[in-house]
Amino acid sequence: MTILRAQGVTKRYGGLLALSEVDVAIEENEFVALIGPNGAGKSTLLNVLTGLTPPTAGTIELGGRSITKASTHARIRAGLGRTFQHGRLFDRLSVLENVMVGAANRPGRSEAQLESAARTSLERMGLGHLAPSRISSLSYGNRRMVELTRALAGEPRILLLDEPAAGLNSGEVEDLMTRLRAIRSEHRLAVVLIEHNMGMVMRLAERIVVLNFGRKIAEGTPAAVQADPAVLEAYLGAGSSYAAD
Amino acid sequence: MADLIQLLTNGLALGSVYALAAIGFVIVYSATGVVNFAAGQFVMLGTFAGVAMLLNAGLPMPVGYAAALIAMALFGALFYLVVYLPLRTSPVVTVIIGTVAIGITLQNAALLTFGSWPFRLPSPFEGMMIEVAGAVVSVHALAVVATTAVMIFLLWLLLHRTAIGIAMRAVAQDVKAARLMGLRVQWLLAFSWILGAVLAGVAGLMLGPMWFADVNMGDPIALKAFAATVIGGFGSLPGAIAGGLFVGLAEVLGASYISSAYKDLIAFGIMILFLLVRPQGIFGEPIQDRG
Repeated sequence: MTILRAQGVTKRYGGLLALSEVDVAIEENEFVALIGPNGAGKSTLLNVLTGLTPPTAGTIELGGRSITKASTHARIRAGLGRTFQHGRLFDRLSVLENVMVGAANRPGRSEAQLESAARTSLERMGLGHLAPSRISSLSYGNRRMVELTRALAGEPRILLLDEPAAGLNSGEVEDLMTRLRAIRSEHRLAVVLIEHNMGMVMRLAERIVVLNFGRKIAEGTPAAVQADPAVLEAYLGAGSSYAAD
Repeated sequence: MADLIQLLTNGLALGSVYALAAIGFVIVYSATGVVNFAAGQFVMLGTFAGVAMLLNAGLPMPVGYAAALIAMALFGALFYLVVYLPLRTSPVVTVIIGTVAIGITLQNAALLTFGSWPFRLPSPFEGMMIEVAGAVVSVHALAVVATTAVMIFLLWLLLHRTAIGIAMRAVAQDVKAARLMGLRVQWLLAFSWILGAVLAGVAGLMLGPMWFADVNMGDPIALKAFAATVIGGFGSLPGAIAGGLFVGLAEVLGASYISSAYKDLIAFGIMILFLLVRPQGIFGEPIQDRG
């Protein structure tokens, strides 16, 4: 069953076409990577999907219901979860409180319920010992893990990850990949991954969607996308080291 | 010695009022980014809500106080709906100018309604004095300090031990991230305005019996509360408390030991000194842009 469907999504900023009639459908429990050179429109697409930016045209459905005009908090409550390209933890809140905010997307939860939900999420990610820590005391890798935990605490049906491996060392990237696989088997959720680390994309994704200049130029299995001439053109044309990855 | 105890009590009581006014101001500022130039008029409105309920309507004390605070909560909600909400997508400077306009409007509305003649708002402890270590101090002043301490404790509980408080702190830091956590940001911002108005209301009800209830009382309070937040650290709640008490004590002690003509000069002189030497205040972090 399709959990998230975007059809004909277009976003125009004045004369700039950031997204042009993009169609994307994500199945339940599917792992999809969204790739493309810098400025291809990946983050814009996430912003449109999460309701931070209204699309110029197009429709978005979540679980079969239109959310094109829904507010951001309504979308999050309906099952969207998201992390940010540049970690956006609440620095003046503790790790536990950050994750509690993530769990607060369900209305009417008391402080005690939020706390127990947050502790469970932290334990599950092996971060229980960090609960009372200040964000500023965390290593960069742990910050990204806390952000992931915070997004998962909302029990999303589909998780949008914006470059979760950016700035991580290779050991941390391996760790992240192990966690992401574990999360999928435990939570039964779909993942949309924006990532520049092609090794990670090729090993994790079941399907890849390629954007370039706001258009979808390819879609398919990792092997098919790697062999697609349009994709090679986009990456080599942009001067990226895609072929070396 | 007896004089000093008396002065310290009065200074702390006045400082408590400034601290509450400053807290209301800081809560709105940290949640919405708006520097509320009508904050002093909020306190004036709190005093006159007391005048309306206790003197005009003649309600008994507990009922009158409750009614005045409910009126202030409604006023906070109204302010959010009429001023903040329509202007929320405008540059924050526009909202700030809006608060200046509303401040002037409120002051003149109060002048038309209540007249320029000052009122005497009674205290539940009217005329009561007790002896502390040989000094005679007013019970009202002690009650003001105690009430402020209780309010600060309740506020701390709200912000750290309730779901809505933790959400408010998240919104105060990063509105966009908070929205993406599924928080109902607009409700939380409305609640911040209501909370700010109620705290100003408590400050106004406590200040009424200490000063006269005068429609022009808002501006001096706003300036003192502003000085308090600068000294304590702009945007910091502990800073608002420390700064408020500091300004209150400086005002009362300075008036007595130096000259009552210079009492404002002392408070603002210290504020200017802080701006020059330690612009982030006692507790403040260097001001940074909100995400």
